[in-house]
Amino acid sequence: MKGFKNKIILSVMVAFAFFSCEKDLPTYYEFQGYEFASVDPTGGNWKPILINSGADISLPTPSAPGSPAYLQEIEDLKEQVARMTEVETKAVTYWTQNPIIRWNEIALELVAKYNLIPGPNPDGSYTLPNPANPNGPPAFPFAHPPYAVRALAYLSVAQFDGLISAWHHKFAFNRDAPFVQDPSIKATYVGNIIPSYPSDGAVVASVSRQILTQMFPLEAEYLAEREAEHLRCLLLSGANVQSDIDAGRTIGQAISGIALARAASDGMRNAQAPKPVSDSIAQAALDRFGWEWINRELPQRPVGLTPLYGKVRMWSVDNVEQTRPIPPPAIGSPEYLADVAILKDFAANVTQERRRIANFWQDGLGTYTPPGHWNEFAKEFIVKYRLNPLRSARTFAYLNMAMMDGGISCWDAKYYYHYPRPIQVIDGFTTIAGTPNFPAYTSGHSVFSAAGAEVLAYIFPSEAQLVRGWAEEAAISRVYGGIHWTFDATVGTAQGIDVAGYTIEVARNDGAD
Amino acid sequence: MRKIYYLLLLAAGATSYLSAQTPSDAILMKGNQACVLLEYSFASFDHYWEGEVKRNNQTIETVHRRSAMPMVAIGLWDNLNIYAGVPYVKTWSTEPNGGNFAGASGLQDLTLAAKYRWLNKTLNKGELVGLATLGFSTPISNYLPDYQPYSIGIGAPELSYRAILEYQHSSKWFVRGAGAYLWRGYAEAEREYYYNDGSYYTPWMDVPSAFTLEAVAGKWFLADALRVQLSYIASRSLSGDDIRSYNAPQPTNRVNFGRVGLMAQYYFPQVKGLGVVAYHNRIVDGRNAPEMITTGLGLTYFFNYRK
Repeated sequence: MKGFKNKIILSVMVAFAFFSCEKDLPTYYEFQGYEFASVDPTGGNWKPILINSGADISLPTPSAPGSPAYLQEIEDLKEQVARMTEVETKAVTYWTQNPIIRWNEIALELVAKYNLIPGPNPDGSYTLPNPANPNGPPAFPFAHPPYAVRALAYLSVAQFDGLISAWHHKFAFNRDAPFVQDPSIKATYVGNIIPSYPSDGAVVASVSRQILTQMFPLEAEYLAEREAEHLRCLLLSGANVQSDIDAGRTIGQAISGIALARAASDGMRNAQAPKPVSDSIAQAALDRFGWEWINRELPQRPVGLTPLYGKVRMWSVDNVEQTRPIPPPAIGSPEYLADVAILKDFAANVTQERRRIANFWQDGLGTYTPPGHWNEFAKEFIVKYRLNPLRSARTFAYLNMAMMDGGISCWDAKYYYHYPRPIQVIDGFTTIAGTPNFPAYTSGHSVFSAAGAEVLAYIFPSEAQLVRGWAEEAAISRVYGGIHWTFDATVGTAQGIDVAGYTIEVARNDGAD
Repeated sequence: MRKIYYLLLLAAGATSYLSAQTPSDAILMKGNQACVLLEYSFASFDHYWEGEVKRNNQTIETVHRRSAMPMVAIGLWDNLNIYAGVPYVKTWSTEPNGGNFAGASGLQDLTLAAKYRWLNKTLNKGELVGLATLGFSTPISNYLPDYQPYSIGIGAPELSYRAILEYQHSSKWFVRGAGAYLWRGYAEAEREYYYNDGSYYTPWMDVPSAFTLEAVAGKWFLADALRVQLSYIASRSLSGDDIRSYNAPQPTNRVNFGRVGLMAQYYFPQVKGLGVVAYHNRIVDGRNAPEMITTGLGLTYFFNYRK
């Protein structure tokens, strides 16, 4: 009897030991380097966003492949490759020949890291993040969706312009990659043969580090480390000699300066208006419409999020008012009351599916925000359709330009109409999503998502139906969450589609199609 | 952008079993006995530790948690008991609050456990008893562990390995020490990206495993009809991140706490098998933990289920 008991106990313990499985949790997108679907030898003639043409930035003529200087560079490269460590081999595999993907992930990671709303001080006041004192507290920046999409737009636009310039010089000078010049050099990155001077990877590394350092100043050291690692991998992969990399950095330096000059004067610095300005904006809405949005946090925040973001310079729209939607239903009107009933019904019946949708698209504090979510989708399509770095940068550039313009148009509507959130006007209403610190109409998620979906539908036509479906789900998710009216979502979706049209028009005429 | 800044109920949820005929005490039923227990507890907190900094937060004001749990315990043999229990939990915030979040409610985790006595030694002035407990718990409803601080549980399977040693003196005083290792699996969020000192592209969150150490001192009164005890338990996560500034907790957080408790259990001499239990405990220090105060009441009923 005793032996029997011990056997049972032993077998239970063994069963428990086997139960303890561990999961692999991915921290970046794992994909194999791939052969590009196209090389785009005329990509250097495409129309850039910030400069007039790819030829605007000039480079010194590279040394000829047979010259002593070049042969010395090849010898140096071979020596470095011979001394490659295991860590370096892994890093080369990680960066791949489309490092736009990795720099986009680094950007999203910093957005998530800094997407923390400042809390109240002990006396109930709030301190705003200050770029002049980035350590804070609170740390600078608060990477909320308007901030995040702007950072992503400057990053992607600068990458795109830099690569157009790189492509121009690559096919003008036509110097082959080291692994082509010297068959004893083993290429890590298989596939297409693209001229290597200047290095497209070095353009991306240099531009990305500089733009992101400006946007996330506390990360300067981290970003410099990532850039150094990336630049070294370009050499170790056999794709570039040092002069290729140096030339890429020259382009990166020039484009970053131009992009950051635009950023410094685009109006973002004034977006977080002071309280008197914010109050006058609310008063104007009250006078015009008879309602105003009020922050319901405790302690109350004195100013909503970036009331003047609607005045930030747009990429493809001349005047934001061209894209302003019709007014929302008046408070108390039949249409409004019908929406109150819908919201109450959703709150009383949180189905598994509605909860899943509300949470999947929430992309709230501490995450990469809705624009980040659409960058992640773009990344997966870029790999699926094997885009080269130039076309990858083009995808991200138009995606983020359209979403930033969408955000600006949305914020214009939010503070022009100043429409209350459901918790403000429905007594005792509770939500399963957090109510943000800005007016309801229109929904930022809806505008960002529709704008993002339109650009992805343009670039990846076979995914059009899929991505437009996602955008509609993202829009309604905010209604399921209890923080938006249905008209915030539907009008916001139409607004996003409209605004994205301006950027898609630019894209159609850039020479890439 | 949400403005949720929440709290973990994890600490309370994982260790809320009261100490009467449970996997964590030193009482063992005979091989023909069974016991049913009905426990009701209410808990709340208005301060919590964000990392190691204690704070309050008007977004959530005071968070309340009620729990009702039926449990059965069966003596298979004199040295081996098994247990099963499922709590129903409800959470909400005091109104008004700055967040206006809906609370949560539902069935939490099914716990199964087995307790085995490996030592039962009579000493000249008392008795020394050694026990080992294996426990397993897993969510049995689709509650969302990522909905903090209102989530009703940690949303991950847990395996617990506990060793208990109790010495009872002939004067009816007793002391007990227990140590446990709690392996915790993964909680599934309803989002495919989260930040945990870096990006994670998955809905799965690694819930930190933990160990606990418990010290108990008490005495039996009224011809063994009344038991009163004081306890202290320390729990430490073995990994995990801190709650970020003014941000919601998430299942990946490192949760540490120390908790003191007082418990009394009474068996009615007139009604064979019937007992009541009451307890009160407070978390007194913590990291990423709520300063939870819990009070519980329970009814226990013993009977012989076989000859």
